[in-house]
Amino acid sequence: MEFAFPEYNLRLMAPEIFLFLWALLIIAYDVLTKRKSETTAGYLALAGLMITGLILGFTGTGHGFGNMFVSDTAAKFFKIIFLGSAFMAIGSSFGIMREKIVNHRGEFYGLILFSTVGMMFLSSSNELLSLYIGLELTTIPLFVLAAFFKDDKLSVEAGIKYFIVGAFSSALLLYGISFLYGLSGTTDLVQMKINIAITHLTFQNIGVILILAIVLVVAGIGFKLSLPPFHQWVPDVYQGSPTPVAAFLSVGSKAAGLIAFAKIFVNGLFAFHHPDMAPNDWGRLVALLAVAAMILGNTVAIRQTNIKRMLGYSSIAQVGYIMIGIVAMNALGMAAMGFYIFAYMFANMGAFAAVAIVEDKTGSCEISTYSGLARTSPLLSATFAVFLLSLAGIPPLAGFMAKFYIFAAGIQAAQHDPGLYWMYWLVGIALLTTVFAIYYYANIIKQMYFAKEPSPHKVTYNFPALTVLLIGLAGLFVFGIYPEPVLHFASGIASSFGIIP
Amino acid sequence: MEGTANSMSEYLSVLIFIFVGIGSVLFTFFLSRLIRPHNPYKEKSIPYECAELPIGDSWFKFNNRFYIFALMFVIFDVEVVFLFPWAVAFGELGLFALVEMIIFILILFFGLFYAWRKGALKWV
Amino acid sequence: MESQILTLVTFFPLLGIVLMLAIPKNQHDSIKSICLIVSFITMLLSFWMYAMFDPIANGMQFEVDIPWITSLGIHYHMGIDGISLLLIVLTSVLSVLAILSSWISITKAVKGYYISMLLLEVGMIGVFCSLDLFMFYVFWEVMLVPMYFIIGLWGGPRRLYAAIKFVLFTMFGSLLMLVAILYLVFAYQSYSGEYSFDMLKMMELPIAYGPQLYLFGAFALAFAIKVPLFPFHTWLPDAHVQAPTAGSVILAGVLLKMGTYGFVRICLPIFPEATVAYLPYICVLSLIAIIYGALVAMVQKDVKSLVAFSSVSHMGFIMLGIFALNLQGIEGAVLQMINHGVSTGALFLIVGMIYERRHTRLIEEFGGLAKVMPVFATFFMITTLSSIGLPLTNGFVGEFLILLGAFKANTVYGIIAASGVILSACYMLWMYQRVIFGKVTKPENEKLKDVNWREKLILIPLVLIIFWIGVYPKPLLDRIEPAVKQVLTYVSKATTVNIGEGIQIDQARTTDEVEIILGEVDPVKVGSEGMEE
Repeated sequence: MEFAFPEYNLRLMAPEIFLFLWALLIIAYDVLTKRKSETTAGYLALAGLMITGLILGFTGTGHGFGNMFVSDTAAKFFKIIFLGSAFMAIGSSFGIMREKIVNHRGEFYGLILFSTVGMMFLSSSNELLSLYIGLELTTIPLFVLAAFFKDDKLSVEAGIKYFIVGAFSSALLLYGISFLYGLSGTTDLVQMKINIAITHLTFQNIGVILILAIVLVVAGIGFKLSLPPFHQWVPDVYQGSPTPVAAFLSVGSKAAGLIAFAKIFVNGLFAFHHPDMAPNDWGRLVALLAVAAMILGNTVAIRQTNIKRMLGYSSIAQVGYIMIGIVAMNALGMAAMGFYIFAYMFANMGAFAAVAIVEDKTGSCEISTYSGLARTSPLLSATFAVFLLSLAGIPPLAGFMAKFYIFAAGIQAAQHDPGLYWMYWLVGIALLTTVFAIYYYANIIKQMYFAKEPSPHKVTYNFPALTVLLIGLAGLFVFGIYPEPVLHFASGIASSFGIIP
Repeated sequence: MEGTANSMSEYLSVLIFIFVGIGSVLFTFFLSRLIRPHNPYKEKSIPYECAELPIGDSWFKFNNRFYIFALMFVIFDVEVVFLFPWAVAFGELGLFALVEMIIFILILFFGLFYAWRKGALKWV
Repeated sequence: MESQILTLVTFFPLLGIVLMLAIPKNQHDSIKSICLIVSFITMLLSFWMYAMFDPIANGMQFEVDIPWITSLGIHYHMGIDGISLLLIVLTSVLSVLAILSSWISITKAVKGYYISMLLLEVGMIGVFCSLDLFMFYVFWEVMLVPMYFIIGLWGGPRRLYAAIKFVLFTMFGSLLMLVAILYLVFAYQSYSGEYSFDMLKMMELPIAYGPQLYLFGAFALAFAIKVPLFPFHTWLPDAHVQAPTAGSVILAGVLLKMGTYGFVRICLPIFPEATVAYLPYICVLSLIAIIYGALVAMVQKDVKSLVAFSSVSHMGFIMLGIFALNLQGIEGAVLQMINHGVSTGALFLIVGMIYERRHTRLIEEFGGLAKVMPVFATFFMITTLSSIGLPLTNGFVGEFLILLGAFKANTVYGIIAASGVILSACYMLWMYQRVIFGKVTKPENEKLKDVNWREKLILIPLVLIIFWIGVYPKPLLDRIEPAVKQVLTYVSKATTVNIGEGIQIDQARTTDEVEIILGEVDPVKVGSEGMEE
């Protein structure tokens, strides 16, 4: 018997394999040690993520597993975001580790890492089934994480809600994928791009089946992305789940949904973006959902009293903005999408880290808790204010550059293609809702800074959480003032999807 | 549109197959109803060779442990499902397949090990 | 050093912010001193820049042009002409005075306050220096945050409402401007094949008439909200009245000028045809602002809101001057921007001084202050007269030039605007009379202290500037003139305006006439003819 090593290009998968083994190691460490340290497992997880990042840096580009696994710029860019958001989520979780999660520290970190591995597989998959498996590997650990406070009614509710919605959306997605397979005879995305176009040309009009496929896939991934009308789970799950998990859900899981969406639509259904293809076009459908997301997210967020719910609605709105980049379908749009989620990672993970720090101290996530916090905890208030301002899109923070690129992509698409003139409206609505957004972000700043009485609480920082705050702060300023390197990297996303600038 | 019609007509046979399938089942039921003798009595409606007669309410709480054991069982059940085809094709696959399967089993063993350490195999 | 003078002036206040961050927050004196010293050095730097500025040369000076975000062609491009030069000097002077004026009145969160002031200064100077639309937008927005905090944290009783109203109004306008900027960039890209945000390049970009109307509208809305032009002025009384004294000074002195500056720097040269098309509407709105602002100011009970509404009226004058589209009008408007900054700034400072003493600003609470505070009354008199536009004060020169321009453009506009001058004399003098003259009616007013040396230090420079511009405005006008001619050269693409001696501007243009100009005559040809003369 001879050891024949097939052309799998396993080296491309090195980061995923390493991170997976590392997650096993953390769980094993946790079950093996008798006298448990509060922080070791956490630091191990952080170290693992950093090493994975290093390995990712040395991993080349190419295809493996018979074109099912691909390592290109888009995959790498999103992998950095997954690793970064996992890093910041774990960094902000040391507070709850001390008191609330005593017996399952290893599992907590292991599950976050497993979910990260799933996202990384997803962003590298070049084919519908491995993409689906990646998506499942991403969400299943998150179901458990959402319900991690077993004794807390809200947390369990969050877990069950997320589980039911997640399972349902997976089924929808699979159904949609089966239609796409039926139309194209392949699950390979690049091949599908060609095959569906040929089917369309042969039969003149594929008719209702493609529409059904598009609607089902949009709905399936729409649940993960929390695009209205598939968003109802978001506020409850964010409110109930542990704050670091909510943070990871809002950035990591969302970025995963985004890359899955981009892979299927920008790559697989490339030809069916434009209204010329009516009624089989998906561009206007997604634009409509983006409008709904921006309006609903930004208006409902105004009335929230719980900060995690507010951030949940704000994240719904942010996805709406990102979708403009995808609907624009030009090189700038793809780069803008990447840059947006990159900037969003720093701002949102930072904001959730601040929420976690306050929650550790006060045990409350009500916005009224933040009243007068600036006088007792100036560092936390200042950084939190910066995160919120970045989410609102105030220069010179990275959030502004991100919105700027998104709008630029939208306007470029509208200007270069008369069929996409409605993109002006899309951008216009985005602008209008940005003004709403400023109102509720400013409201938190108002609570922190303009209150008459100083807050009775004075927060304490643990080292990792403080690091997360500072990373967020530095990221927003550095990439807001000099975004060129990231943009240059992000512009590679477009060529990964075969869009020529 | 013509093409669509053609491709749909290929499914016609499937449709006919479904109707015939349902129809034949219904037909045999109907036939047996015509032929069989009709003599109902009480013993006929109790479970026969399936289980004990239920005593009391059937809606009672099972011990949680049953579920954990069932879960453990399912994992290894699935493992066997994968092992069978692997064993059949083993001759052509070579050493690499062996290594792959060992990794697969090791990961499952890790799960078993974890469950063991967490006390899932203990009946308290 | 000389080539980087703009960078230095703009970002020097950041040094102060860094220094202040290093100081513990309870050491108020060292924080204040650092802030004052840094802003004072910034002022000296701007004076040095003024001295080096070549008044005869055309075009931009001290230009810096470094690629910044190359994938979209965004450059770090700065440069100034006479208009921006004067506004930068005004900004740096008013910043020093504003900081000095808050020496005692700001007692809570001192560190944050002075950091906000310096950040505001960076934003304001940056707006006036930028020649890249992206940079312009960034600086424009950067100012919102410190201003939000200054109004919201150190303001009056309704400060929260005023702060958020200010931010939402400004943000709404500026986002529309962002879209217009992006449209311009992509239009330029399809025209020349490269991305650019350069204002000077945009001025060369031919834009079709239809899009020009939309683009002008978007920019004009952003600027009009900032000016504020009637009917977008409703945020202004709230923001002015609620802001602390220094905030009002900066708001009235500099922030409002950014709107009018935007019209002169961006709207007129880039969208000449649209400018002509919008001209009648904007002129009418300006006239409404002049009259409406003055009438509302007259019935105010609060001195500060009186000054705030007078700003609406005065800014209407400036807008009218700009849209007279002739040399005198725009020159007068630019000079009046400076004048309004100086005299309204001084008025707000004076109002702040009596508020510090009496903790009220209601006119009826005062009376007879001339006997109690004679020096104060003198300063108040001078600034009031300057605001009215009495000859020998700065206001006269500016308003005279604007009215001259307005009469040349359209006699009816000129007549209506001139009546605004009379109204302004009415409400200012009436207010002055009720506050300063007469008998001391309230016992609280009898023991008021006159201005101290710090307050004199604040007011004397402003009074000197008032008289200097009033008597000898030539150095300023010399510096403004080449820049204004440059702007008019671009505008003349669309009109038959002549620059130079025989200044002739068409009578009231209706839309039909504009279409005749645009349809039958080649704009470029008309422009070159205009320039030959």
